[in-house]
Amino acid sequence: MKVKTLTADIVILGGGSAGTIAAIKAKEKNPDAKVIIMDKGPIESSGAIGRGMDALNIMASPGYSTPEDVVEALTKVSEGVIDQETAYVLGEKSKDVIKDLEEYTKREPGDLFPTDKDGNYVTNYLHPTDAPLYLAMDGEDIKRGLASRVKKLGVEVLSFTPATKLFTTDGEISGIFGFNIRTGQGYFINTPTVILTAGCVGKFGLPRDGYLSGIYEFPGNTGEGYALAYEAGAEMVNLECFQTNLLMKDYNGPACGYVVYPRGGYGVNAEGNKYWTHGYWSGDMFLAVWKQFQEGKGPIYLKMDHLPQNTINGLEKVLWGTERTTRGKFHLDRSESYHCWDSVEQGLEEITLCSGHSMSGIKVDKDTKTTVPGLFAAGDCASVPHQYLTGAFVFGAIAGQQAVDYAATHKAKPVGVNLEILAEETERPLKLESGLAPSDVEFKLRARISQYLTPPKSDPLMQKMLWWCKRIREQDIPRIKVNDYHDLIKVTEIKSILVCAEMAARASLFRTESRWGLSHFRLSYPARDPKWDRKQVVIKKVGGEMTLEAVEVPAFKWDFPEYLEYEYPKMEFDIGEGYHPPKNDNVDPWLEEKYEREGFEIPRRIVPGGK
Amino acid sequence: MTKTEVREYQWIKPDKEKCISCGQCVNFCPRDVLRLGEDGFPYMKYRDDCWYCDVCTYICPKDALHLEEIPYLIK
Repeated sequence: MKVKTLTADIVILGGGSAGTIAAIKAKEKNPDAKVIIMDKGPIESSGAIGRGMDALNIMASPGYSTPEDVVEALTKVSEGVIDQETAYVLGEKSKDVIKDLEEYTKREPGDLFPTDKDGNYVTNYLHPTDAPLYLAMDGEDIKRGLASRVKKLGVEVLSFTPATKLFTTDGEISGIFGFNIRTGQGYFINTPTVILTAGCVGKFGLPRDGYLSGIYEFPGNTGEGYALAYEAGAEMVNLECFQTNLLMKDYNGPACGYVVYPRGGYGVNAEGNKYWTHGYWSGDMFLAVWKQFQEGKGPIYLKMDHLPQNTINGLEKVLWGTERTTRGKFHLDRSESYHCWDSVEQGLEEITLCSGHSMSGIKVDKDTKTTVPGLFAAGDCASVPHQYLTGAFVFGAIAGQQAVDYAATHKAKPVGVNLEILAEETERPLKLESGLAPSDVEFKLRARISQYLTPPKSDPLMQKMLWWCKRIREQDIPRIKVNDYHDLIKVTEIKSILVCAEMAARASLFRTESRWGLSHFRLSYPARDPKWDRKQVVIKKVGGEMTLEAVEVPAFKWDFPEYLEYEYPKMEFDIGEGYHPPKNDNVDPWLEEKYEREGFEIPRRIVPGGK
Repeated sequence: MTKTEVREYQWIKPDKEKCISCGQCVNFCPRDVLRLGEDGFPYMKYRDDCWYCDVCTYICPKDALHLEEIPYLIK
């Protein structure tokens, strides 16, 4: 591997929604700044919205809803574990996203987003509040619009070039290293700032059908943002709140409750009955789904057949035309129709970690600063509860502006690294003569994550997961053998997933209560405990060790409800007394004599051909 | 034996009458799944990294690429 050394003012890891807008806003603020995007793929199509998106799920739209409404909704769905000031910024700046996206896509008001006769943007009800905060979108082309603007502004884009290592000097960000997964060209970039916009931990639990890429989140998002931040010493929060979204079963794409519910659809169980009061993706709804299955009322479905025919047709058009466009093919192949109540079978996603739809990630303030100087984070890897795509744009933009200011007053510090040794270590899996396939190690790790961490969470199972983390880290990862650079990045991905699994298990064991419905339903502590109100579990690497601490969130400015309306079930599993068999003598002379005579040797009695 | 000769099931297939081997599908696949084979036509070199996202079909200027079905394990 040859390594090219570059310098930059800002390096953005991940050219998805947050990363591209960060680059745009940085260059717009200072056109002379050298901004580099590193992305695992091409920025025109990579990330969660490569094939489009159908809504901005949180929006304070003038005439319909306010930033305070956003704070109210997010305080409730995060059950009080939130920085309200950051949530307010999300609401306050959400309307700017509308104008930016219309400009980048060159689309008129009323086309990309619905407008009313006064020119206001029409939001609908979705969240567990009295304010409409959901803005529909016909956003099939927004990623191309963003990519085009990025390139026009002179941002350097390193396509197919993910990062594998972050560097700090005297505790401040000083460099980043990665390689091109097609050519093997290495890049070391000396920089005073890095913005992590590398997405969620989409590859985490194993999908039930066993297809490693058959996941809800974009499968290029494997937790590098989380892992690199943790390794660089940044604080991580809410890793115990697992995302377990309600999806279209098997297809594992959005069903999509957020498109269908605001238009009158709702979820029903196998008996055709509505099983919960709302369809918002909060832990109480997931708990309600889990309950259906425990009571033998699964499968569950997304019911639409009672809606007007043209509404159903319109839903098919939106759902089959954006975000996951092979949804239609999936249904047609199964002869399913949205005009039939039990056609869209739903299922809970394998567990993942994500901020956008949930709340785990790198700890950031309202300015997207992490706890490491020079390191900023936005989008699904930065913890702003339930920020969705809106948050990726709002905080991506802030990150770009903040980083460009920081770079104006901070020069990149020198990095003490031997690039030859770094390249050699990186390429080691290519040089092994034989070894384990990365897909096998990934399968094994993700299968264990699903088996030991899926809620309801069991303490002994989570402890066992920690045993597996150590074993896979020490015994399996060093044995991975790859044949090319495309597969070499999978070693980094597996390491990232592993670090995230350990953080998730330790954070879950640290929080001695249950909260967020199914997302942290812990069998040893099956109820919310007020002593954990407004407290985050903060994880940080100190002296090579993973440390945990309970830390209060910033003081609240608004007094909004902090609990969702649900109760944890009473788990009573009385199965009677059982059969008491007559007791044998524990001393077995036959067994003891055999052991004394043969030891641990196994006589060779199977002889081909006979003797 | 080259990859194109292997009869491994592939769900993305080019229409060889229409395909002009421009490589757009290869360069815009967000998961780096595709390569042009020795015959000049795209094939799924890293098949199991496919997210069945349909970008390849969408991006093809000649409407030559088709995602015939979604992966067997989930269809």
